Amino acid sequence: MTQEKPTAVAPNQPDHDLSAAGAAGEKDATSRNVRVLDWLSQRGIFVFTILLIVFAAIFINGFASLLNITDVFNRAAPIGIVAVGMTFVVITGNYLDLSVVAQVATAAVVLIAVSNESTIPAAMGLALLIAVVYGFVNGVAVGVFKANAVIVTLSTTFIGLGLLRWFTGGSIYFGPQDGVIRSFGLAKLGPFPLAMLVLIVVTLILSWVLNQTNFGFLVKSYGSNREATRLAGVNTAWVVIGAFGLSALGAMIGGFVLGAFSNTAVSAMSTGFDFRALAAIIVGGTSVFGGRGSVLRTLLGVVFVSVLTNIMVLSGLTFGVQQMVIGALIVAAVSVDALARKAATS
Amino acid sequence: MTEKQGISLGEAQGGPWNRIRRTLARRTEGRALALLIIVVIVTAIMEPIAFTAYEVTLGSIALIGLVALGLTAVILMGELDLAVASTLALAGVVMASIDDLALGIVTALVVGLLIGVVNAFFVVVVGINSFIATLGMLFFLRGAAFVLSGEEPVRLSDIDAGIAFGKPLIGGLTPRMLLFILAFLALQVFVTRVRAGREFYAVGGNRQAAYDAGIPVRRRIFTGFMISGFVAALAGIINTLERTAADPTAGSTVLLASFAAAIIGGVLLTGGRGSVFGTLLGAASLGILQVALTLSGVQVDVQNIVIGSVLFIAVITDPNSLRSVLGSARSFFRGRSRASPT
Repeated sequence: MTQEKPTAVAPNQPDHDLSAAGAAGEKDATSRNVRVLDWLSQRGIFVFTILLIVFAAIFINGFASLLNITDVFNRAAPIGIVAVGMTFVVITGNYLDLSVVAQVATAAVVLIAVSNESTIPAAMGLALLIAVVYGFVNGVAVGVFKANAVIVTLSTTFIGLGLLRWFTGGSIYFGPQDGVIRSFGLAKLGPFPLAMLVLIVVTLILSWVLNQTNFGFLVKSYGSNREATRLAGVNTAWVVIGAFGLSALGAMIGGFVLGAFSNTAVSAMSTGFDFRALAAIIVGGTSVFGGRGSVLRTLLGVVFVSVLTNIMVLSGLTFGVQQMVIGALIVAAVSVDALARKAATS
Repeated sequence: MTEKQGISLGEAQGGPWNRIRRTLARRTEGRALALLIIVVIVTAIMEPIAFTAYEVTLGSIALIGLVALGLTAVILMGELDLAVASTLALAGVVMASIDDLALGIVTALVVGLLIGVVNAFFVVVVGINSFIATLGMLFFLRGAAFVLSGEEPVRLSDIDAGIAFGKPLIGGLTPRMLLFILAFLALQVFVTRVRAGREFYAVGGNRQAAYDAGIPVRRRIFTGFMISGFVAALAGIINTLERTAADPTAGSTVLLASFAAAIIGGVLLTGGRGSVFGTLLGAASLGILQVALTLSGVQVDVQNIVIGSVLFIAVITDPNSLRSVLGSARSFFRGRSRASPT
């Protein structure tokens, strides 16, 4: 018995399928549709990102300044690191890891608060331990118990944020003004903050993991067909645990970068990381249906989402509008992916 | 589930024990009942006030239960509506920003229905998995609630109506509880007695078979999402009336509790199994739990930890999950004992 069931209306239902009517006579048109939709969902991001940047540079006041671009990079780095880690979870077909919100805040708070009391390596060690626990708990619940990833990570988000607020009492932690963390957060290579370099290094490593290693291959294979992967003798539980583990590691590094950049940490600082990261992944062309995706294109998605957010902030739009736009972006990008799939199978 | 029923039907025939076991195997409320018993016993020992102040407890059960009831309709079909929390918040804000009370309530309910239609459109017509589609809607609608309210609570213009709404109507039951009981009965009758409702089980159990049997699957999914949107909007309206203000951030703990209630009530996330009564049991246990936690002076954070843990346990002790864990454990040990074949 397979774990999955056809979640959407089964595509092989002629009388219920929208695209089937057109497909009968006009085969060329359909295959063109397939190509257009496929291109949109896979490669469109290159063009859209460039168009968006050009648009912003021309029409948005203050976008094309060095100060603003550094700011975009600074804000993009933590979200980007979270997103490239979470890409693995999405490729396994487990939708997303909502608990990154709790994980990022926990890592930032642990980094600042513990290093104030003790040393930075101790803080990082503790954060790593917490990340391993997150990855393991989420991974075991989803991989071994075959529980639904959205519900599992929703509950771990509430548990994690609850624990964090309980321990901290909701207080804000400040790092020392002349500390190592502060100087890392301010460090720059030309116009690029050091955080950007961290993002690029993490992306390259994870891209290598996805494309060149055995584990990466298994992640994609599990995402496209769970049952076949299991029958091939793969221990699928470890694939899922690994994917959630990478997501947790990404969230931890993202939390470090976020904490270092602001040199303060509070439990509410990672609000919005879940949907921004998901939007970046999906816009980057990683399919929520699993099995298909790319870490490098997630990076492009991050650039897209960050520039879009920056445009909205510069235009004075509120957080509410930003949520609406990014929510709509997620639905639109997934719709394109779903329609491409539908067109391809009909 | 099908193979299990097949086996028990085959070997059945004799013995009252078998008949009891067969009935039990068909019921899905076991976990909710266990949780309810534990919660009631612990609460009775630690915080007996939760039962003497039963109006508060019933109110909490009604709020959690109402949202959970709407979710039940969707989950029965193997879909999920994550957007209920934002629907609740948005409906409340919409209602409060319209001066005329009756018009506000009607508009809010229409908004709930429309949200259900939009959700179902993305799931059925576009073909997006409902987890992702409604997650996108969750963010979108939360943003919409923020924008509409200007990011701060909206006061209800007709405060008298709100105060009247909080007063007991019939024998200690406030309108909120009556509405909850009404919604419970309506949904219970719908999914057990009405053909369209019974077909929800078929759609959730095996969608392909439901098609082949001539069930209008698409229309049923639309119905389900509309029920959940409508009920969430109703919950938002009740919330706003009782607090005489609409909070755009309303209901995050309630959301968590209502998911936990529906899932621990035995509604299988993959669809096809579950009962409205189980959801009621789940809502009862979580409502009592929440009131008991509040009474014992526990912070919201700790409440979130406890309710989050209940949800986590509920989702991993799902019968499907337990079976797959048992299966992998069995194959693990068998793999060990059967050393190197050929």
